[in-house]
Amino acid sequence: MLAHQIAMENPAMIRAEGVEATEFPDLANQFNVRGVPQTVINAGGGMVVGAVPEPNLIAEIKRALN
Amino acid sequence: MEKLLNEQVISQVKQAFAQMKEPVQLLLFTSRENCDYCAEIRQLLEELVAVDDKLGLTIYDIQDNADVAAQFNVDKSPIIVVAARDGDQVINYGVQYAGIPSGHEFGVLINDILLISGRDSGLSEAVRDFLKHLEKPLHLQVFVTPT
Repeated sequence: MLAHQIAMENPAMIRAEGVEATEFPDLANQFNVRGVPQTVINAGGGMVVGAVPEPNLIAEIKRALN
Repeated sequence: MEKLLNEQVISQVKQAFAQMKEPVQLLLFTSRENCDYCAEIRQLLEELVAVDDKLGLTIYDIQDNADVAAQFNVDKSPIIVVAARDGDQVINYGVQYAGIPSGHEFGVLINDILLISGRDSGLSEAVRDFLKHLEKPLHLQVFVTPT
C-alpha cells in the first residue's frame, strides 16, 4: 500500500492506516467515503479518491500540509 | 476449529514469504467490547505467523495495554500494526491496518509484511527527502472494502 510506503520513511511523523470501511462505518461516514480506495489526509485536510500514482498522492499531501 | 486459510492459500503465502529478508512483528490490538471480528482476526493472524519463523505475533488489549497502544498510536480496535523486529526490539514503521484483512486486503497485508521485511519503502529519492523533512505530523487513512 502506497500510504504504508510513505509512513516507512518517517514513522515519527507519519501514521498510515488502511481502514476497512464496512467495519468502521462511522469513520467512513465522517469523511464521506463514497468510493474505495479513498485516502483521507489529516482528518479531511486533503482527500484522494481512487488508487492514484505516487506523484498525485504526494502533491495532495503537500497541498494539505500547506 | 475450522481453518480460515486453506492449503492452497498457505502454499501461496509460503512462496511469497520466501522473499522475506528481516523479521517482522505483527501487533494485534483487540478489545473485549464492540469487536465483532477480533476472534476471527486473531485466528487468521495465528495461522499466518505459523507459516514462517521470521514472522511473529503479539496480542494486546487496547484497554489493558493502553501504554503499548499509545506507543504505537493505536486509537481503535481491531488494529494490526505491521512492525519490524530486531532481536528483542519492535520498531514502529507507522503501518497499521484497521479491520479484518480479507479478500483483496489479505494480499495487501502480505505485501505490507514483505515491505517491512525489506526495510525499504522503494520510493523515489525526491519523495523520501520530502517525507524525511516533514514539519507537521501526517496521518493517512486509506478506506478500503474487502471485495
